[in-house]
Amino acid sequence: MQRLRRTKILIESGLAVCQKLSQQILQKYEVTVIVPPHNGLVMVKVRDQAEGKLFYLGEVLVTECRVQIGTTLGIGLVQDHQPKVAYHLAVIDAAYQAELPEVEEWEGQLAAAEDDLARIQAGEALTLERTKVHFSMMNIEGAH
Amino acid sequence: MAYVAVKGGEAAIAESIKRLRYERLRERRTIAVKAIRSGLRALVDRVMSEASLYAKELAALAIKQAEGNPEEATFLLRAYRSTLPRKYYSRLTSMGSMFVERRISAAFKDIAGGQLLGASADYTHRLLDFNLEKETSANVRAWLAAFQREQEAEKPSVMPRVELPRVTDILRSEGLLRHMQQDDTAPRDITRQSMTFPAERSERLQTLTRGESGAVVALGYAAIRGYGLAAHPTVAALVVGRVAITIDYPLGACDSDDEALYLGQVRVTEVDAIIPAAKKGPGGKQEIEIRLGYGLCFGQNESKAIAMSVLDYCLEHPIPDSPVHDEEFVLTHIDSVEASGFISHLKLPHYVTFQSELDAARRINRGER
Repeated sequence: MQRLRRTKILIESGLAVCQKLSQQILQKYEVTVIVPPHNGLVMVKVRDQAEGKLFYLGEVLVTECRVQIGTTLGIGLVQDHQPKVAYHLAVIDAAYQAELPEVEEWEGQLAAAEDDLARIQAGEALTLERTKVHFSMMNIEGAH
Repeated sequence: MAYVAVKGGEAAIAESIKRLRYERLRERRTIAVKAIRSGLRALVDRVMSEASLYAKELAALAIKQAEGNPEEATFLLRAYRSTLPRKYYSRLTSMGSMFVERRISAAFKDIAGGQLLGASADYTHRLLDFNLEKETSANVRAWLAAFQREQEAEKPSVMPRVELPRVTDILRSEGLLRHMQQDDTAPRDITRQSMTFPAERSERLQTLTRGESGAVVALGYAAIRGYGLAAHPTVAALVVGRVAITIDYPLGACDSDDEALYLGQVRVTEVDAIIPAAKKGPGGKQEIEIRLGYGLCFGQNESKAIAMSVLDYCLEHPIPDSPVHDEEFVLTHIDSVEASGFISHLKLPHYVTFQSELDAARRINRGER
């Protein structure tokens, strides 16, 4: 599973899912923390839709962690102050980078978690549809 | 006359700070940061936007410490921000894949994907709801359960569109609005390099998006009232929703979008404002050109995003002698920390300068030179 899809599923699913996968690695391999979880900033780049130019919208608080399994590094980065999530993400990333056999078994679990997220998002989108407005023009005499 | 530093007052200052805490706590009640985050959503969004830092928990903490004063909370959040390292720059954040929570148009009744009112106070009567005085956790749980049941029971059967087209595409397809050329020139960053005038468009937009809401709205309003624009802007689209933040993978190559790192989502408000402008066509014929102003800010800050789109237009199309079309006037006065900081400094001791002014006044009034 490619990184963008994987990290989106993990972050949106939250700590429990990240921890569940990461524990499988932590029980079997020696994981060294290279840079413990710490806060930093990510500057957000956007494109203005009037003239098509780029500009900076502002910064987002993030938590970053780096670990090592054998000689392979892994990084965990997540929005807000979430040290545990950042740590588990780093372990999972290192497992993928090192191509550990466990990651193949995760594909199904991640796909299932993705289905859960899609259901939640679809539910939210459907409830928002209740606020969809259907305007009809008023027929006022003399109006044009 | 030179400046003279004053000293002393340490004990009084310590007591003053203690007194400030006492004023916050004197009624023996405290507000949980989580309660501020969830219950004062609009203030949290405003402070994050003005501080230019998307961090809900920290914004809520700053609001608590500032006793709800937005300018003080913004100052606290900006100060904290300055202690953190900037680790990365995001990949281009796409508005096209936004999860839309609200989308309205004042220009077109029917837009592809429809108009979604979402959560808005626009349609409330603005009558004080005295029931809120008696709101309890039990009331809240019961209301939420009923809301959930109602939403589940009467879900619309048609799945909404995931990616919605831009409303302004209607005008572009008709040739009424010129095609937008994408320009990937790296933006300037006003937090790293002081702005000089004339400013670049990226500097203008960055300054507007982190501007103090009241100042941005006031200047946008002044522009529409006749101190600038000669036309009434129309909101083509106001959209509130969540956009994904991603970065290039820091530990190796990131050859495709699929290999980027996802970090989370931020809620934004985006506005496209249509402004008609007179122009000379072929043969000197008077024509009307449709132009756009753009507003985008962190959080659900609708008035600010609309006013930003008006000011963006004003600064992109300068008019001599109009203050709201003067970028130095607008951009140097809308920052919360700079404006409140300067005004606030007037409270600090000016004993030497003031005595000097008094001496001068006495001399002149006595007829001396």
